[in-house]
Amino acid sequence: MDRENSTPDRQQLLRLLQLSSPLLPVGGYSYSEGLEQIIDRGIIRDRETLQAWIDRELQTGAIRIETAMVDRAYLAGMAGDLERACYWNQWLSAARETEELRLQSWQMGGSLVKLALELTPEIADSISAIGNPCNYAIAFGVVAQSWQIDRDATILAYLHTWVANQLGVGIKSIPLGQTAGQQILWHLQANIDALARTIPTLADGDLYACSWGLSLASMQHETLYSRLFRS
Amino acid sequence: MNQNNLDACPGWQGHLQLTYGYSGGKTQAIEHRGTAPLKVQRSFYPESAAICHNTILHTAGGVVGGDRLNIDIDLQSRSRAVITTAAAGKIYGSNGALASEQIVQNVGENACLEWLPQETIIFDGALFDRHLRVNLAATASWLGWEIDRFGRTARGERFTHGVWKSATEVYRQGIPVWIDRQLLYGDDKIDLPNSLAGYPIVGTLAWIGAGNLESDELLVSKNIVVKARSLFDGAPSKIGVTRLTEGILCRYRGDSTTEVRRWFAAVWHLLRHSYLDSPPIHLRVWQ
Repeated sequence: MDRENSTPDRQQLLRLLQLSSPLLPVGGYSYSEGLEQIIDRGIIRDRETLQAWIDRELQTGAIRIETAMVDRAYLAGMAGDLERACYWNQWLSAARETEELRLQSWQMGGSLVKLALELTPEIADSISAIGNPCNYAIAFGVVAQSWQIDRDATILAYLHTWVANQLGVGIKSIPLGQTAGQQILWHLQANIDALARTIPTLADGDLYACSWGLSLASMQHETLYSRLFRS
Repeated sequence: MNQNNLDACPGWQGHLQLTYGYSGGKTQAIEHRGTAPLKVQRSFYPESAAICHNTILHTAGGVVGGDRLNIDIDLQSRSRAVITTAAAGKIYGSNGALASEQIVQNVGENACLEWLPQETIIFDGALFDRHLRVNLAATASWLGWEIDRFGRTARGERFTHGVWKSATEVYRQGIPVWIDRQLLYGDDKIDLPNSLAGYPIVGTLAWIGAGNLESDELLVSKNIVVKARSLFDGAPSKIGVTRLTEGILCRYRGDSTTEVRRWFAAVWHLLRHSYLDSPPIHLRVWQ
């Protein structure tokens, strides 16, 4: 493959960086997705235990299903099949493990939809067809596709921002040094890449996860007395 | 059945059909047909004629690789049924073939199904795929639970190889309202905090009520969530309770079947009292 075709074009790369930037005002940093509870109980307490948790989530956790939804929304947008995007949005709302995770997904999705409509009003038709509330993963896929960002890059970016958010929680709550966080992120590159390659191959019948730890932590987080992160 | 004979024998292909109708204040099992190894015992009415109780029996004692069990349950409008199983389910270790259990439950207008099977014991090496699909009419409601024990822990067995898949999918008028797709690979990672965290038992109770389509309010109040949590008398880290858009979800991860049964029964009674206007009832097979 020649260099010209293997490199995403420059506009696409800039859009990808904007969509996956921590500056994107969707509030991802304000949620811990169960981590705060698990850290509070001392189960995650250092760099090793944090890395092991995130690694396992990438291998068998709910993030696989969530990222598969990004990809399904992307493909639905590409095919102009907005009923399909709408169906997967309902499916994901029904599949979110807890009320806390569902509300997070809806809030972030709503914020991304609002922002994308400000930046590119011409995508209003495809966005509004998804329905309200809109899950973040679905919004991310549809917006990335309508911004003409590469499909694989979209999946990688989604996974990367998710891992970075989890690390942000660990750094604040354990606490850990910034360098330790970067070391984990560096070590997880191969696992993120492996999952990103798997996502497009997942059939609907493969959308399973082992999410007992996440579910219980998120359910218990709602009752945690003193919290930094939102429910 | 001899497990060495799997190639020659494709396993049980059991099918059970149970259909309930309602008339004159009474719910009746108007159709019940089972092929081996599935049987349904005679209906009984421990609370009122409106609520039919049935117990499903698996006459072979357990499930081996290659078995394929299908259970279809239909509740016509206004009927109410409470269904349980006669004994704990056993999924034996497999020599390579998958055992599957496919359950479809259709619940009609103003009908309610309470699906309360006993726990399932997943032997080490089992390959098991359970799929429960619930189709609800607009005003139907449904309560279901599921308790799984990984390994025959009484003899020190762990789930160190095999695969367990369990999907519960509840749709109302074709729209997904609760999708639960759980997967566990038997290996040395089962004890990570992400999955079993050293415990052998997981349990799930879900209640999907007839929603108020005119209101944005969730069906279940926060108060019911708090009450459901408070009904558990063990360590709070073993359980979680949360709201579904049209109901409530309780999870247990621990080491005692008695403990989880007791909690689920208490939550069931709370939900019966709050939403079904029905008094608590103790199931004989659960005692």
